[in-house]
Amino acid sequence: MPVFFLTCVFWPNMALAQGRHTEVVIEHTGTAFIKTDVLIRDLDVLSGGVESADAANLMNRIVANDLRLSGLFLVGFSEENPDSLKYEFTIEGTVEGPLRDAAQTGENAPVTISLNLLSYPQRQLLMNKRYRPLPSQMRATAHHFANEVIHWLSGEPGICLTRVVFSRGSGGRRDLYVVDYDGEGLLRLTANRELNLCPDWSPDGKEIAFTSYRDGEQALFSLNTTNGKVRRVIAREGLNLGASWHPGGEELLLALSHGGNPEIYRITPQGKIIKRLTVSKAIEISPSWAPGGRDLVFTSDRTGTPQLYIIDSDGAGRRRLTFEGRYNDSAVWSPSGDQIVYATRSGNYTQIVVMKSTGEDRRVLTGRRWGNSEDPSWAPDGRHIVFASDRSGVFKLYVYDVVEDTFRQLTFGNDPDITPAWSH
Amino acid sequence: MNRGWITRNAMLIAGLVLLVALISLAGCGSKSDVETDPAAGTGVGEETEELPVETVPEVVEPVVEEGPDYLNLNPSDYGVEDVFFAFDQYDLDDESMGILSHNARIIKEAGVTILVSGHGDERGTVEYNLALGEKRARAVRDYLVSLGVTVGQLKITSYGESKPFAMGSNEDAWAKNRRAHFERP
Repeated sequence: MPVFFLTCVFWPNMALAQGRHTEVVIEHTGTAFIKTDVLIRDLDVLSGGVESADAANLMNRIVANDLRLSGLFLVGFSEENPDSLKYEFTIEGTVEGPLRDAAQTGENAPVTISLNLLSYPQRQLLMNKRYRPLPSQMRATAHHFANEVIHWLSGEPGICLTRVVFSRGSGGRRDLYVVDYDGEGLLRLTANRELNLCPDWSPDGKEIAFTSYRDGEQALFSLNTTNGKVRRVIAREGLNLGASWHPGGEELLLALSHGGNPEIYRITPQGKIIKRLTVSKAIEISPSWAPGGRDLVFTSDRTGTPQLYIIDSDGAGRRRLTFEGRYNDSAVWSPSGDQIVYATRSGNYTQIVVMKSTGEDRRVLTGRRWGNSEDPSWAPDGRHIVFASDRSGVFKLYVYDVVEDTFRQLTFGNDPDITPAWSH
Repeated sequence: MNRGWITRNAMLIAGLVLLVALISLAGCGSKSDVETDPAAGTGVGEETEELPVETVPEVVEPVVEEGPDYLNLNPSDYGVEDVFFAFDQYDLDDESMGILSHNARIIKEAGVTILVSGHGDERGTVEYNLALGEKRARAVRDYLVSLGVTVGQLKITSYGESKPFAMGSNEDAWAKNRRAHFERP
């Protein structure tokens, strides 16, 4: 994300900084939770006319939306406080117009934005950030500031600069697209008139591994997110499916079937097989690393129905994880490692289920009104899950908040969207 | 009769020309080379039937009349039939085996490379459906090979639920979409 930061001034008040985790109370008791209320004032436009005013409005709107989407905050815009919020913090700032010099004029001139986080009502300055974004960098700048606020107030890294890659299309053609976590900035990544499926981000976000038929037969490819170039990683006969990057980035898990049967393998990012991890006559697919990169969860139908299993990175220590349901697949470990989300089929419908990684506390997230819900993927905050559901008649992406038990729609339009993956 | 002698001679020459044509055809590795031949052959063949007997040496029987143009037809055009599978299954049933015996004879005669693609219905996950399609395609290839089809003649792939034959969310559409399909590679 190319954002140009002129200056990043950070003045932590040491006393407040040390105590900041206790100031904000974020409690989750299962049914009740407390949010922090933040007042966001209109930014003062010091100069620059309409360009600065537009920038001020955009910053305001995006920061407010980011704080709401984090699930940690309630946001008000007025001191009069019609919603009776108990403000604890204020965000305010200034926008100065484009510098009119010979090199940078008109559309491409950056504005100067200064944003402050203050205590309320004492108005003690907690954080200041200054940016000089071009118009094309405005959204990323707002997301960056929102991340800083979330981190300062909660101690957790924000997800405001994360993105979701997914597969869109029908009729034997599906292309990869990427969208910002808030549903903005939709971008098409492939255009080859074939199937492009099951993308997964490398830990550093620089590559997206995906399964494609772009050369005719199914193979695993990797797309460079900086320059858009695609390289072939591995192309064995049959399946080259379901890549899962190791948290360290130095290898991937993949299902290959060139030996006659779909099995789980570890491969290098260059496509060299490191080790075969499973041996059976059953289907073994959908591998996903645990966050530590020592264990992995995958699907095997060796008992006659697809069920989840855990093994270590040598293929040893196999244990069965699911005993409920006759069809469980698409498991993904939560970033903190304590939970696993997966898809289960009940009758003709597929539903999303979350449970502890020990297999306990199984909880169905999507009931019958959600139609088919498939392909879950965790946000790096461990609180949000993106998945595909056909509740509207066509598969679209939705984001679920595990803490609040709420949903929002992420993608729109008539083409089916499937196999999403949240960036790290 | 003189006419009968000329006809026999014409057939002999036509046979020789056909043999040469077949040999050159067999030598053509690439698809693009072959694609232009049938049209040209047909044109010459139709024209020569109208010509007087003196020009007999130029008679070329069109290749297409000797049998199907396997390289340019879809397998279904020359009698190869798709096979279907039960819900979540990749085993062949008696009916499928019967169809595949029939297919094996045709495929051996055709001698061309064929792609067997595995498909699943829309229910369930993308990845498991791709795996089911893969197992279905492999089951079909393995059985055809056991019936004497050359393994190199059969390529396999799986499209899972991504290339459905029938639209709709009902038993009828689902049954039509759980199949192994034969196509030109």
